[in-house]
Amino acid sequence: MKIVKEALAGTLESSDLLVKVSPGPGAGLEVVISSEVMQQFGLQIDHVVRDTLARLGVTAGLVVVEDKGALDCAIRARVQTAVIRGAEAQTIDWSALS
Amino acid sequence: MTDELDFYAVDPAASARERRDIRALLGRCGLDYEEHIQVFVVCRDAGRLVACAGLESNIVKCCAIDPDLRGGSLSLTLLSEVVHLAYERGHSHLFLYTRPENVSFFQGCGFYALAEVPGYVTLMENTPVGIRAYCDRLRAQRPAGLRPDARIGGIVINANPFTLGHQYLVRLAAAQCDWLHLFVVSEDVSFVSYRDRYALVEQGVRGIERLTLHHGSQYMVSRATFPDYFFKEKGVVGDCCTAIDLLLFRNHIAPALGITHRFVGTEPFCETTRKYNADMKFWLQGDGSTAPAVTVIEEARTRAGGTPISASEVRRLLRSRDLDRIRALVPAPTFELLREKYLSKILPFAPDPLGHGGEPDAPARRAMAAGM
Amino acid sequence: MKLRRSMLFLPGANAAMLSTAFVYKPDSIMFDLEDAVSLREKDSARLLVFHALQLPVYRETETVVRINPLNTPFGLPDLEAAVRAGVDVVRLPKTDCAEDVEVLEREVERIERACGREIGSTRLMAAIESASGVINALAIAKASPRLIGIALAGFDYVMDMQTERGDGTELFYARCAVLHAARAAKIDAFDVVWSDLNDEAGFLKEVDLIKRLGFNGKSLINPRQIELLHNAYAPTEEEVEYAGRVVSAAAEGERKGLGVVSLNGKMIDGPVIDHARRVLQRAEASGTRK
Repeated sequence: MKIVKEALAGTLESSDLLVKVSPGPGAGLEVVISSEVMQQFGLQIDHVVRDTLARLGVTAGLVVVEDKGALDCAIRARVQTAVIRGAEAQTIDWSALS
Repeated sequence: MTDELDFYAVDPAASARERRDIRALLGRCGLDYEEHIQVFVVCRDAGRLVACAGLESNIVKCCAIDPDLRGGSLSLTLLSEVVHLAYERGHSHLFLYTRPENVSFFQGCGFYALAEVPGYVTLMENTPVGIRAYCDRLRAQRPAGLRPDARIGGIVINANPFTLGHQYLVRLAAAQCDWLHLFVVSEDVSFVSYRDRYALVEQGVRGIERLTLHHGSQYMVSRATFPDYFFKEKGVVGDCCTAIDLLLFRNHIAPALGITHRFVGTEPFCETTRKYNADMKFWLQGDGSTAPAVTVIEEARTRAGGTPISASEVRRLLRSRDLDRIRALVPAPTFELLREKYLSKILPFAPDPLGHGGEPDAPARRAMAAGM
Repeated sequence: MKLRRSMLFLPGANAAMLSTAFVYKPDSIMFDLEDAVSLREKDSARLLVFHALQLPVYRETETVVRINPLNTPFGLPDLEAAVRAGVDVVRLPKTDCAEDVEVLEREVERIERACGREIGSTRLMAAIESASGVINALAIAKASPRLIGIALAGFDYVMDMQTERGDGTELFYARCAVLHAARAAKIDAFDVVWSDLNDEAGFLKEVDLIKRLGFNGKSLINPRQIELLHNAYAPTEEEVEYAGRVVSAAAEGERKGLGVVSLNGKMIDGPVIDHARRVLQRAEASGTRK
């Protein structure tokens, strides 16, 4: 998927996360994570976010994540929602979301 | 699922009841109601207004939560709703002003501090890579091969429109520096559009060597960095209006480009301009920041027929349709554009923002700070 | 016989609740994509629920997803997400006639085929929320072998009836109709949500009424209601003791190859034995009434 416009998904509430995607200044993919539990889980959050993006075929753009202690399932869901909104996708390939 | 809390957006102009309730809540929290807010997110608990946050384009203002409900998740939901609403209205990059003691609260809501006037106000933005990414881009434009102690100049102009006075200042500064960075204020609320202003500047500085022309940004003399109305009632208008903008310049922009000197034009007869230049010296050269000082160099304006050339004078002449007098003050491209495109936009009896008496309006204040 | 006394509603857009609700032990958990989710968040909630359904912790409880009506842009994507994620039951809101169920069933089967899920494994539930739905309750209840039950949804129903929620008078006929239809079709019947969380006495009074009417269970909007409901549905010691004797007598009769079973000189037949088994099942689930 290709991010063509800025989009947002999620909330700042506890156990959730806010994901902002944008076409990005450069040619590559940049992921910026900010979390209350950065020390313990920063790397894992980054891994889950990148894995989710990879499965969607996102290779370019800027993805900023404001994490409030979300579980992996919420991270995947919110990242997917933001990307789909940012790609203005009409149809969903469910196999890419599992 | 069991909350009685109801969040929704309201147009303050459309509902007197909402306006009244918002005003009351702000009052309870020690804040004043601001007239220019376009939309509010409000939260009602069983009908009672308990929280609100306003948006003026991309600036979050009048954020208040009932003292009884602070510390819970309400504030997080409120800010989430504000961010979503702003996105719907086309604004993804948000700014916010708050007292320094509230900074940690907003940090928990995804905002990051940009500049602080100690004890008074902190400007924040809702991304960790805003100013950082901007400065990275600036750094990438640094010219190579300059000596370590090079004299690097910076000028910020609104150029509304670009005059011979601007051209004189730029040439003068370029001659005194190993490199000059010229910024055009991008906030598009001036008489001459940003696109036209930039184009005229570009034409006007063609041929000047060792110069980089930059587009303006949200971080320089924008509505976001100039809290015009924030402190009006608190009596610190003059001091804080320019402080944030200048601190951003000194702490972030100047270091990214290695700027050591900032050039401004003087206007010996205008008290307000004199005050702004003094502010500039205070914040760029004084102890209000640990970043390296940027030396402020005031150059006397060049004159035509004995009068200092200024863009405001050009606009005044344009209003009186005095094209002949304008010709002596501006480069040819500026003259052509004014005559072709902007003469027809003059409205009869439009007030002159720099006229005698009355406070200059926002664009004019910004223009003054840009050293015009 | 699956116990379905309590069906806990969770708003599908709430990440915190979806992440933690498995600690509560209702008989069924319902993830709501319809009324609890704003228009703006429909797509976001859908994906939250899609992923939550696949968490191992939710495999232990019967999962239900309330999709949006199929004639909205959200309904079909909701259904795709729910079926593909392995939901146990899909709840269709605003069911007015049998055809609504038939359309749903066709779409569910199509999706099961497309994603390789066992055909027929996705069960259905129909929510009746209008006068038409109440009148068509029997046809709705018999419309598909996938149906596990029908529910009366109070809020929209009373609006359609041009009245308001009150002491239950306004639901009188609807409750009876839905109940009879469910029993005739041999599926479960569910009662409306009680939304005043501060009125526990009122809640218990309503639970007592619907239990005596014969409803299998009720929709809940707060975890606190689960235990209250289970306790109200729990049999008394005497009921359990008697049920135990009925079931023993039935087992004895079967062992002896007797055609007719009796207890204390009275004949006990199929329905009595089934009832006794249900009593014991409820006792096993949450003990006897305190």
